[in-house]
Amino acid sequence: MHLFTRLCGLIALVAASVSTHAGTPEQAVLEQFHQSIKVGYNTLTTETSTLLRAASAYCEEPTTNHRKALNKGWLDAFLAWQAVRFVNFGPVENNNLAWQFQFWPDPKNLIARKAKTILKAEAPVTSNLIEQSGVAVQGFPMIEFLLFDEQQSIGQDALPAPRSCELLIKVAEHVNHNTEALASQWSDFRPHYLANALYQETTLKAGMTALEILEERRLAQPMGLRGNGRRNPYIADAWRSGNSLKAAKAGVAGLQNHFLPGLTTLLDARGESSLASRIRAQFNKVADNFPAADAPMQTLLGDDDRFRALQGLYVDVSQLATLVNDEAAVALGVIRGFNSSDGD
Amino acid sequence: MNDLFRPAPLALTIAAALTAGCSNTPWSAEQNQTATKTSVVAHYADLAHATYGDALITARALDEATDRLIANPTEANLNAAKEAWLAARVPYQQSEVFRFGNTIVDDWEGQLNAWPLDEGLIDYVKADDYQHELGNHGATANIIASNNINVGGESLDVATLSPELLANLNEVGGSEANVATGYHAIEFLLWGQDLHGFESGAGERPVTDFAQGADCTNGNCERRAQYLDAVTDLLITDLEWMAAQWAPGASDNYRAQLTSANADEGIQKMLFGMGSLSLGELAGERLKVALEANSYEDEHDCFSDNTHNSHYYNGQGIKNVYTGTYQRVDGSRVSGPSLSDLVAQSNPELDKRLTGQLDASMKALSLMKARAESSQNPMAFDTMIAPGNAEGARIVNGAILALVEQTGSIEQAARQLGIEALSPDDAGHAF
Repeated sequence: MHLFTRLCGLIALVAASVSTHAGTPEQAVLEQFHQSIKVGYNTLTTETSTLLRAASAYCEEPTTNHRKALNKGWLDAFLAWQAVRFVNFGPVENNNLAWQFQFWPDPKNLIARKAKTILKAEAPVTSNLIEQSGVAVQGFPMIEFLLFDEQQSIGQDALPAPRSCELLIKVAEHVNHNTEALASQWSDFRPHYLANALYQETTLKAGMTALEILEERRLAQPMGLRGNGRRNPYIADAWRSGNSLKAAKAGVAGLQNHFLPGLTTLLDARGESSLASRIRAQFNKVADNFPAADAPMQTLLGDDDRFRALQGLYVDVSQLATLVNDEAAVALGVIRGFNSSDGD
Repeated sequence: MNDLFRPAPLALTIAAALTAGCSNTPWSAEQNQTATKTSVVAHYADLAHATYGDALITARALDEATDRLIANPTEANLNAAKEAWLAARVPYQQSEVFRFGNTIVDDWEGQLNAWPLDEGLIDYVKADDYQHELGNHGATANIIASNNINVGGESLDVATLSPELLANLNEVGGSEANVATGYHAIEFLLWGQDLHGFESGAGERPVTDFAQGADCTNGNCERRAQYLDAVTDLLITDLEWMAAQWAPGASDNYRAQLTSANADEGIQKMLFGMGSLSLGELAGERLKVALEANSYEDEHDCFSDNTHNSHYYNGQGIKNVYTGTYQRVDGSRVSGPSLSDLVAQSNPELDKRLTGQLDASMKALSLMKARAESSQNPMAFDTMIAPGNAEGARIVNGAILALVEQTGSIEQAARQLGIEALSPDDAGHAF
């Protein structure tokens, strides 16, 4: 089992501080990273507010239109999270916020088990209960379960059943509260981030780790290209709503927006403009090649023609990962140490 | 079973004799010799050989205890078998540090220590308390109750329960959760499902599950006994093979390959194994996931509630590799040139810090062990990770933080020794 991103970055923060000097390219790149991630976090906060309002509106008046808005609200917020999911350092480490947003992967179906326990119990669904219930309850996958799980949506507890609605709203509140805290803490974090030159390497490593996770865990593993060769859609993200590929695409777009500009600025400053161009081009190629990203992973894995398209994407992502994680890492002197991918 | 290898080779006896009586002194100080990368890698192979040798010795004792249980299923014999299983875990968990970095171990270990497992593949389970891996077609196959099982449309003849058959059934249908073999399959056969959730209490399999004739409970006692017999025999064969891979004096085993390669490669494997087990596997998969998701499904030794010891001896294995020491199950001590000696040569301050951090993580894991084994009011690992258990969370978090900290210094030690590539991909390219 691979719960991959969950410890990344901890070590980087233990590192001693090295100050940057105002006006240097390094300083400018840190400013660029900080500002861009701030925009991403603010978008996430806006989207989770919309999601919360949509959840309340639907539970007050469960019409088809309200349900559509709710489903869309979940997806928009979830994709906004994918765009900044690569950031594995800074305030997102407080209280395991990243795990709270998305407990993944979940091979033992803990999400369903926890949901059933809460739905069966008598105690009122309060903010405190959500606080106490662990990361499998506290984020996007729990809301996805309530909205999209096949078994759940035909059972007695299916939305808009009162108790499911309570759980939906309380989790949406929890997620919204966490995104607000994250955005505000990220702003407060600015002076510390800018003053510590080591954050440049930390940020570069975060993007590199995200590419590695995309290649290995979000594509190769579900596709059966690793280990025992079995294709398994359930270890992909967001399989319940069929949004695994959309999520991956949003993750790539997030790296393009928040990571690539700083990376290429640094490469240009080292006289590596040609490598920077190749990386930009490869990012575009990956973004353009998402095969029918609306299709659920299950569909892509079950049909040989579509699987070939998925293989094409995988090859492009692998080439991108090689360019960034090998070539750019060497050019920029980034030495990647242990991360939580090293387990089994 | 063929004995491919017999333990207690000469080299170990000598190593133990050399250090008798001065176990806390660094090897280099008392030998008046300078450790080199080559001697450190050779001694690493000695450590691995001693550790797998002990795993084999204790597995043989487990096999004898289960044979007695099968022949005479009494409470006393069941308890003796459980004790033998617990004792067998002590060296094996210390051997896990050899797994990451040494592909030969990583490729092999799934048959011995894969987890978490969907135990419904093996035997009866209480259905409403059983959560198996999503998409696993073999999760409820129940080999013991069947002569033929169907996994994902494939029909398999399981009428004769031999070690070979069980080895072939491991990961049947392509699911890693279909664990038919190894320590955790044996653990399940001895303890049964733990139905206590976050409450105190382990699995409670009645000894009559192995009874003959009319006393048999839950059906198929004879096949259950055959399964236990076959799975313990397989464990011995597997450990014999691995111990032989690390034995000195052979020209065609893994040790020969490792010690004749560039010593930097061996040093890299040592540090990679330590760091990967420390951070990704132990602090991450085995501690943090279980704690943060409050998931007893992610508990390592979930049937026996021996998880605290599995964690403790994982930590000990990491320390063993750094200090070049190992306390054998017979009480003797293996010691020799170590990573600690090498780091101290060029950066005594770093060596002191890392040694201190390894001690600190062992202290944190000792606290977990002591709390779980407390005679007054024991708190097992599955209770520590329960929602709202502040004391349990503090204990588990203490261990996580100590392991994370020491991993930072392991990285520094690697750089100190000129090893720069530690990421798994780099490891793949380098070897």
